[in-house]
Amino acid sequence: MSEHEQFEEEEFDTEFNGQTVARILRQGLKHWPLMFGYMFSMLVTAFMDGYLTFLTKRIIDEGILAGNTEQLVRLIVQFGLGLLLVSLGVMGFIFSAGRLGERVQYDLRKKMFGRLQELSLSYFDRTPVGWLMSRLTSDASRVGDLVSWGLVDLAWGGVSIIISLSFMAVINVRMMLIVAAVMPVLVVVALRFKKKILVEYRDVRKTNSKITGAYNENITGVRVVKSLRREEGNLEEFTDLTRTMYRAGYRAAWLSALFLPVVQLISAVAVSGIVLYGGWQFQVGEMTIGGIQAFVFYITFMLFPIQEMARIYAEMQQAIASGERIFSLVDAVPEIQDRDGAQEPESLRGDIVFENVDFRYEEEKPVLRDFSLHVKQGETIALVGPTGAGKSTIVNLVCRFYEPSSGRILINGKDYTEWTLHGIHSRIGIVLQTPYLFSGSIWDNLRYGRLDATDEEVVNAAKVAGAHAFIEELDEGYDSQVGEGGVLLSVGQTQLLSLARAILADPEIFVMDEATSSVDTLTEALVQEAMDAILADRTSFIIAHRLSTIRKADRILVIEDGRIAEQGSHAQLIGQRGHYYDLYTKQFRDERIGTGQPLLGTGKLVAA
Amino acid sequence: MEDKAFETGKRAQSGPRREVPAWLRPLLRVWPAIGGRPNAGDEEEEGHAGIRLTYDLKDTLTDNRFVGLWRMATGFRKIYILAVLAAGLAALSSSAVFYLLRYFVDDVLANADLQWQIPWVAVGVIVLTLLQGLFSFGMGRLAAQTAEGVARRLRNYLYDQIQRLTFTYHDTTQTGELIQRSTSDVDTLRRLFQDQLIGIGRTGLLFLVNVSALALLHGWLALLSIPVLPVAAVASFFFFKRMEIVFESYQSQDAALSNRLQERLTGVRVVKAFARQSYEIERFEEENWEKYRRGVKIANLHAMFWPTVEILTGGQVLFAMYMASMMVLDGGISIGTYIAFFGLLTTTVWNVQGIGRLVAHVSTGLVSLNRVQEIIRQDREELEDGSVPTKQGLRGALQFKNVQFAYETPAAEESGGAKDGKTADKVKAANKVLQETRSRAFAERGYVLRDINFDVEPGQVIGLLGATGSGKSSLVNLLPRFYDYSGGNIILDGEELRNYARGFLRSQVGIVQQEPFLFSTTIRNNITYGLVRDVSDEEMEAAARAAAIHDVVQTFPKGYDTLVGERGVTLSGGQKQRVTIARTLLKDPAILLLDDATSSVDTETDATIRAALSRLMQGRTTFIVAHRVQSVMAADQILVMEAGRIIQRGSHNELVSQHGVYRQVYELQVQVEADLEREIAEVVESAEVKLNGLEEGPRTPDENGAPPESEIPHTVSKG
Repeated sequence: MSEHEQFEEEEFDTEFNGQTVARILRQGLKHWPLMFGYMFSMLVTAFMDGYLTFLTKRIIDEGILAGNTEQLVRLIVQFGLGLLLVSLGVMGFIFSAGRLGERVQYDLRKKMFGRLQELSLSYFDRTPVGWLMSRLTSDASRVGDLVSWGLVDLAWGGVSIIISLSFMAVINVRMMLIVAAVMPVLVVVALRFKKKILVEYRDVRKTNSKITGAYNENITGVRVVKSLRREEGNLEEFTDLTRTMYRAGYRAAWLSALFLPVVQLISAVAVSGIVLYGGWQFQVGEMTIGGIQAFVFYITFMLFPIQEMARIYAEMQQAIASGERIFSLVDAVPEIQDRDGAQEPESLRGDIVFENVDFRYEEEKPVLRDFSLHVKQGETIALVGPTGAGKSTIVNLVCRFYEPSSGRILINGKDYTEWTLHGIHSRIGIVLQTPYLFSGSIWDNLRYGRLDATDEEVVNAAKVAGAHAFIEELDEGYDSQVGEGGVLLSVGQTQLLSLARAILADPEIFVMDEATSSVDTLTEALVQEAMDAILADRTSFIIAHRLSTIRKADRILVIEDGRIAEQGSHAQLIGQRGHYYDLYTKQFRDERIGTGQPLLGTGKLVAA
Repeated sequence: MEDKAFETGKRAQSGPRREVPAWLRPLLRVWPAIGGRPNAGDEEEEGHAGIRLTYDLKDTLTDNRFVGLWRMATGFRKIYILAVLAAGLAALSSSAVFYLLRYFVDDVLANADLQWQIPWVAVGVIVLTLLQGLFSFGMGRLAAQTAEGVARRLRNYLYDQIQRLTFTYHDTTQTGELIQRSTSDVDTLRRLFQDQLIGIGRTGLLFLVNVSALALLHGWLALLSIPVLPVAAVASFFFFKRMEIVFESYQSQDAALSNRLQERLTGVRVVKAFARQSYEIERFEEENWEKYRRGVKIANLHAMFWPTVEILTGGQVLFAMYMASMMVLDGGISIGTYIAFFGLLTTTVWNVQGIGRLVAHVSTGLVSLNRVQEIIRQDREELEDGSVPTKQGLRGALQFKNVQFAYETPAAEESGGAKDGKTADKVKAANKVLQETRSRAFAERGYVLRDINFDVEPGQVIGLLGATGSGKSSLVNLLPRFYDYSGGNIILDGEELRNYARGFLRSQVGIVQQEPFLFSTTIRNNITYGLVRDVSDEEMEAAARAAAIHDVVQTFPKGYDTLVGERGVTLSGGQKQRVTIARTLLKDPAILLLDDATSSVDTETDATIRAALSRLMQGRTTFIVAHRVQSVMAADQILVMEAGRIIQRGSHNELVSQHGVYRQVYELQVQVEADLEREIAEVVESAEVKLNGLEEGPRTPDENGAPPESEIPHTVSKG
């Protein structure tokens, strides 16, 4: 949340960037009939609005004061027709602007989502989900609104003012000039006000997201709060937060309450100018009563367009910043993409060879250096070593989530960049320690592995993965909902499901990163047996810490500092009494907690 | 312009501090209320705010939702009424402008004698506008004070309420749901006070004032010019009711879209791993298009409604205009009257158009009120009720006698308190769906613990072993009275557990959970979290050392003042766990619950955590909940649980020698290790002895419950 907010806050005061604006406009122009539709209806409405007020003048002067009933009726009929036209215009621009706004949002979301599917994992490593979410939700709707309602209101405001002034000029040029003189003051004040109000509201929103965060923490951590009896202290801290909110909200409301009166007051100055000057002009016969009345009306109703324009202008900057962020996402280039002429592989069976591979996530921080490895078809490779040594990097490279910075990876003798990403990913099965399930039923989640799998195949995969037993125990069996990210299940259950999902996909290469670390011992033993059969003729990479998993591997690689420190079978490595051996003997002692024996080496380890 | 207003505010604020005669005081209270600047809120805070903020919102639970709203505004009612009055005065001033206009046209312009009055009319316009502005600003300001005040009190109350509700409630309520009610529903209520209620008052008064003004101009004509307005108001009400439905469907689609997006972005690895990009694009397209479709529906509805209203009210204006102008021709009314009439009518029409929207929003607000009250209604957990004196700490001797436990049936049944059970029933009916879901969740659980019998000596270690759902966690959750047992007795230091105050028990029971939970504050605050006494830096550091986290913290640039979750600093699961251990060390509880404390921690720190835990366990009655043998094998007493019962008990050695689940699990783990042990022994028997000293010497498989693990214990964080 807070991260999300931080990203939100930046770039508020971006310069007015013509290029971005043009690009935003182009989003609307793609649907030019709608844009044309609302511009046209808006023009009709604005013109007729101005004309109607002008008609009221003529009704008074030519009809009532002149005592001309016939003319009066004619003008009133005109007035009625004018109203009808205004209504049609209103209908037209609401219809087309509303539609266009939604359409542009839709287009932008579609484009962004498509792009996100192409982007590499490294992009997602850098970019918080919250940031991306705001691009596809609030930013998209802001741009959509700008292209539709924003433009309508802006144009309507400008056009109305010009039309009003023109009609005023028709009535009396000098009096129009009085009004025109007040106009700039009105515009500037309105604009500054709106900007200030906007800033205040941003403050409110920021505090609000803090409050939401506090609620969230209090609810998710309620167990800890209760067990530590922190209720009083929490409430006190929260009260500070709501006090800030109270002040921010109050200040924003206060400013908003001041806005209209101030603007009205300025226009009252214009009205009193009309009264003064109009009164004198009336005496000399330059001005009619209808004219004075029309002027008062014009000034009163001019407040709305000015307010609107001030609002739009203040918000426009935000919308343009939104647009910039959207385009930065749309323009992002996937770091890993299919090469020209990449082919769909027929099969990934065959040896996997790392040839002098270098890899770094960031410049200056190499993770792998001159790494070479030859894995035979069907071999099971276990990777062990400390966190940060590069185990996960190696499997990420195999999966081509990343590509080597230099060197090559060959599958079946061919550089794997000559194949399509889709071809590689769809043939590798990956099971991670922190598996992710999508909300939906267990059926849905398992079938994600193979969309056209029959029920029987799904159940079989679940059986192999040792998930069938617990699924059967659930009230709704395979129809049970798993919750977002799998929250309704335990971590162990989620791991089993994600294993089943991978098994269903029937991949040619298996990658398992601590795939069953949270599964209980009995179940794991069952799963292990079943997996042995599956892995028998498939190449597989396993990162694990449980001995039972590792020792059966054909080859164990001890990875330290981006290099292979040791390799061989379990028996060989134990015999060598090297790193691998050390790992286990240490582990043994540390595991023996509470047996009355001193916890050897603990002090040293802590200090390390 | 703004600055000037601020100045006025400042003066107004300092106003009441001066000595003033008593009769003037009420007046002075009004003045700052109208003109006060934002931070005048401080005064309110320290002054009579005490009552306002501590008002018990349970009082707002009534049959009538409007009465509920009225009570919600306790402490703010006076200023809110003032706000409505200000709205009426603003309307009056704006009507007066039209009267002035009539005077100007009929008298001043028509009379050469009265020319000198022209400037005065001009001044009059400005003065009236100023008045109108002042009143409408006062209205906005007072409404804001009420709205923000009510919202703040509500937020505080809900926050406190939430942290004092029972576990049973939290188990059955979704986090998102609670957050939504405490934030967006509260905000809806705030807007209700800020805009809608006052808006209705304003429009109503404006209507009254304007219609009276019209009637004063010409009674008969006034009657002719309003019949369509109620029709338009009602039409607009129904429109917005309909709109609400359409908008809600749009919102729910928006939520669906966001959920999908959130999930697919969080699970992007899965999408990529299965190469499901095009599948995802298709699914997203469905949601996206549906949102577009519903958005267009809204636009269409608006495109139908506004022109209709325009025509309706336009027709009314047209008709009245025709009648009025005919009357001028007949000499029934003056031209000035005609102009004033036309102006008043137009403003009235404008305002009435909006009232339907306001009313519709009020009904949304009432729904929010209901949702918020649903939380307020729940009973809090009593922390201080207990008959056992709590002066000294516990020893930690426990006896479980035939303990039974089933999760409580719906919390809602006892809701509302004894005071107004009837109300509770009514609202309960309204929220039936929610409750049904809840009771279903309860019914599914049934008895979680049955016939639990065992004794614990002070300082003993009890191991609880069993599969997920066997009741281990439920059992330990009874000790801090997170839940109350339904049958049997738990005797703690010779007294029934129920007789202890919850608050006291919780201060005596330390818990280390499977998933360490840290608060987003500094590491220091996390370690000292919840301590009532002051803790010196030395004491805190000592605890951190004992928990093996001190050295890690030292590597952070800001040390103990590092914010958890701050950029660039990430605590691993193991490090977080050690912070919670330090926290528990400082708390110094008599009874310790380790709920699967090491299972989800990365292996790198397993060893350090074990060491820290064993230090923590010294001299405390400890319960270790685990699903792996090696975590509990050292316990004085091991209880093996299955389906809520204890199926095996005894020490490790006793359990290994019987047939049963324990041995089954144990053998499975040992088998693997025995192999390894043999290998190691074969290769390096002599070296092993040299390396580890005598105790480590020859091992029997019995002693080695633990599967060795593959990674180097390693505590240095990458950063």
